[in-house]
Amino acid sequence: MSDLLKSDVDLEAIIAQADEDEITLRPDEPSLPPGEWMRKNLFSTPFNSVLTIVFALGALWAYRAILNFIFSENTQWDAVRVNLRLMFTQAYPDENYTRVWVSLAIVAVLAGLSLGLSKVGRGLSLKKIATWCFGWGGLIVLGVLLREPSVKTDASGESVFADANGVELVRDDLGSLAYANGDPAPSQGLELIRESFGSAMGNRTGWWIIGLLLLAVGAAIWFGLGDFRRRNTFVPAIPFGLAGVGLLVSTTWWYGWGNYTFSEEGFTYEPGELVASSTRNPWTVVFLVLVGAYIVGRAIQRTERAGTVRAITNLSWLLAPFVTFWAVLRGPVLDWGYVASVDIPLYLLFAVGGGLILWMLTNPHIGEAGRIIAVVILAIAAFTWISAFFGWFGMLQKIRLSILFLGLAALLAPNFKGDAKQRMKLIYGWLGFITIFHVMVTLINTPSSIEVPTEDFAGGFMVSIYVSIFTMIFSFPLGVMLALARTSRLPLFRVMSTVYIESFRGVPLITMLFFFTVFVNLFLPEGMELSLFAAVVVAFVLFSAAYLAENVRGGLQAIRRGQYEASDALGLTTVQRTAFIVLPQGLRVSIPPLVGQVIATFKETSLLAIVGVFDFLRMARDVIPAQTEFLGVRKPGLLFICVVYFVGAYAMSKYSQRLEKQLGVGER
Amino acid sequence: MSINDATTAVNAELAGRDDIIVCDGVDKWYGDFQALKGVTATIKEREVVVVLGPSGSGKSTWIRCINRLEQHQGGRIIVDGVELTNDTRNIEKIRSEVGMVFQSFNLFPHLTVIDNITLAPIWVRKRPRGEAEQTARELLERVGIPEQADKFPGQLSGGQQQRVAIARALAMEPRIMLFDEPTSALDPEMIKEVLDVMKELANSGMTMMVVTHEMGFAREVADRIIFMESGEIVEVGTPEHFFTNPTEDRTKLFLSQIL
Repeated sequence: MSDLLKSDVDLEAIIAQADEDEITLRPDEPSLPPGEWMRKNLFSTPFNSVLTIVFALGALWAYRAILNFIFSENTQWDAVRVNLRLMFTQAYPDENYTRVWVSLAIVAVLAGLSLGLSKVGRGLSLKKIATWCFGWGGLIVLGVLLREPSVKTDASGESVFADANGVELVRDDLGSLAYANGDPAPSQGLELIRESFGSAMGNRTGWWIIGLLLLAVGAAIWFGLGDFRRRNTFVPAIPFGLAGVGLLVSTTWWYGWGNYTFSEEGFTYEPGELVASSTRNPWTVVFLVLVGAYIVGRAIQRTERAGTVRAITNLSWLLAPFVTFWAVLRGPVLDWGYVASVDIPLYLLFAVGGGLILWMLTNPHIGEAGRIIAVVILAIAAFTWISAFFGWFGMLQKIRLSILFLGLAALLAPNFKGDAKQRMKLIYGWLGFITIFHVMVTLINTPSSIEVPTEDFAGGFMVSIYVSIFTMIFSFPLGVMLALARTSRLPLFRVMSTVYIESFRGVPLITMLFFFTVFVNLFLPEGMELSLFAAVVVAFVLFSAAYLAENVRGGLQAIRRGQYEASDALGLTTVQRTAFIVLPQGLRVSIPPLVGQVIATFKETSLLAIVGVFDFLRMARDVIPAQTEFLGVRKPGLLFICVVYFVGAYAMSKYSQRLEKQLGVGER
Repeated sequence: MSINDATTAVNAELAGRDDIIVCDGVDKWYGDFQALKGVTATIKEREVVVVLGPSGSGKSTWIRCINRLEQHQGGRIIVDGVELTNDTRNIEKIRSEVGMVFQSFNLFPHLTVIDNITLAPIWVRKRPRGEAEQTARELLERVGIPEQADKFPGQLSGGQQQRVAIARALAMEPRIMLFDEPTSALDPEMIKEVLDVMKELANSGMTMMVVTHEMGFAREVADRIIFMESGEIVEVGTPEHFFTNPTEDRTKLFLSQIL
């Protein structure tokens, strides 16, 4: 009785909560009985019935083939399990491995903060969870039934063979195959014996339990909780997701993930410590950091500072790849004498000098002189670049870049004219930018302390992901600039950008990669050279920017003319119109193709294997099959990297859908 | 008092004020088609001028020339003492003095109402954000929709959107307001709310040039009516003169078709 009462109270609370949240509850449409549903959707006409059957058989056949490969005795999953560390970080030395964990922890802090600061959506409906349970449970049960029976083994765990007539063979004392009466077995025509279907089903108890459990949970949610309002009850998505990650991390404590050791001369496999036992502590710490950051983020989200913290977090996301890659993973060795005598004075010169120039340029009364000064600075910047190619004035590359940046900031200066507060915005922006720039350049210009057998310290998935991220960061602004130039009213910009876009879209990416890794160093002036990593990033950036530009242009063209007229009528300048009206609307429209391009770039990093970078694909294709224990074993590794790429690409695609929905507010 | 006397009286009254818009022989071509043929007119400070005419007569083109959304090819346009030439600084100066309201509202769909209104004051007039928002809320009060400040344009009705557009133009504290068929895209029941705002604005002494088909508004609010056809000014006069005793045949024909 009391139980009944309690559940009633719960229900009312839930309903009241739902009313309070103004969640409009659509009455459940009465679902068709399964037979009816199938007749309506799958077998409505003879032609549809044939299609349904053909495609269902095709799908089942493909599913069975994949399962047979995954669970086959001949598939050496050890090649993946043992080489997990190699695939993700290549030969990153053990004694420096803390740097990898620190990088991961930085990402975890940012991810946790971002999740905590994000606006809470409605979460996952119980209905959706039930559907997942049904789907996965059904798939597992189907797989248990479909997969071919395993090979029969004898008492010593060896596979059992039969001759061409199906007569079972046994092993003699020496371990070679023979008939039961002692006659030697024929040398040809032997076949593996598989279990009967019945005993195969019996041997898959674990999978039965998982599949049926999922189905039972799904059914319990679907039918057991009766009222439709309960099925529309929502579980917060982020804690649910964090719990999933936690479950994955917990496997390091009870599952034997991998075995690694690197020998000095290359990538050969030697039995050593389990990856799981050496990584469980750091993984657990990283996970706790993630959860901790999430809780902190949630707490901040309720305060007034949420907006500021969110902005800082977003900026940190942008800096994180540079910091983790150049400052943490690379282990830079600073020459303090040089830093004190060259780097710091240069930094101070540009920070203070540039700041003063910008302060002058934002003076409301400067008039025409401001534009002239900006043009002069840009001209100096252009001259330093041109002279570099003729080898006239030797100077540090960062001086050339700093002058260029100062010129660009000077162009922006007229937008910040006004009172001291307004002017300081530009000064702070400049100081922040030039500080980050000089610190990064100083770090990049140092030798690395990480000793690896390959040219670059980064390898495996690490190099793939960093190339993707740097490509995104640099190609995005370049692509937007190209798109703006292509839609510009100035014919010179239009022609230059069109030529660029069309020529880069007309060249295969792999050609570009070869060009940049092989030829470009020959053209560069003395003193400049591109490392392999820099060369491939430049190739990817230039290539990807051309495609991004076309996507952005599509978005820009979707903006109605009235928007331009309205901003003109209000007296906005071209820069202001572009920044506040045109780009925000244009980029929003082009999110789906932009994310498509990002996903394409992520997948295309696998081409790095061809130009000599030890990337993720190359580990599976060349490195693992060269190990003595796994000679020629490619398939498991390739399937594994497929799964990793898929997970990454799918996650991005889902995120873009969410982004689209979020930004859709206020449209139409 | 005869109608001609009334016109004379209005002209006499206006003569005391400064010219704020002077158009002298303005020509405008679209390809081979001449949209404006030597349009000459002077608009005084605090005057409300309604421009009437059949569609395609060049009325919209004309007022769009006045803040340089369209470029005129012949003649001169002088706004507030500054001549419109290719000099971008002049154009920027004039655009911040002249507010414009469009037929299709042209609000910025990705910004909230308050951001729509404060964007230009903050970035063009360099007002501090707090002050700009204060002004914006007062303006929303004035156009009768203070409660919509934090919504997006897409969440408002057409009439509300047009009133936001008016508030957005007023936030720049313009000396002149141009209205390009402000009620043509609205459902009938929303026209009145927009016209009421415009009447209030006219009574407050704003210089206004209005292209519209709302004859009632023209008759009630206008100081002068300019009638255009085929890119030319056909007749100019007080509403009383225009609606009761037009002199030109083309005006009579137009009135007979719409009244």
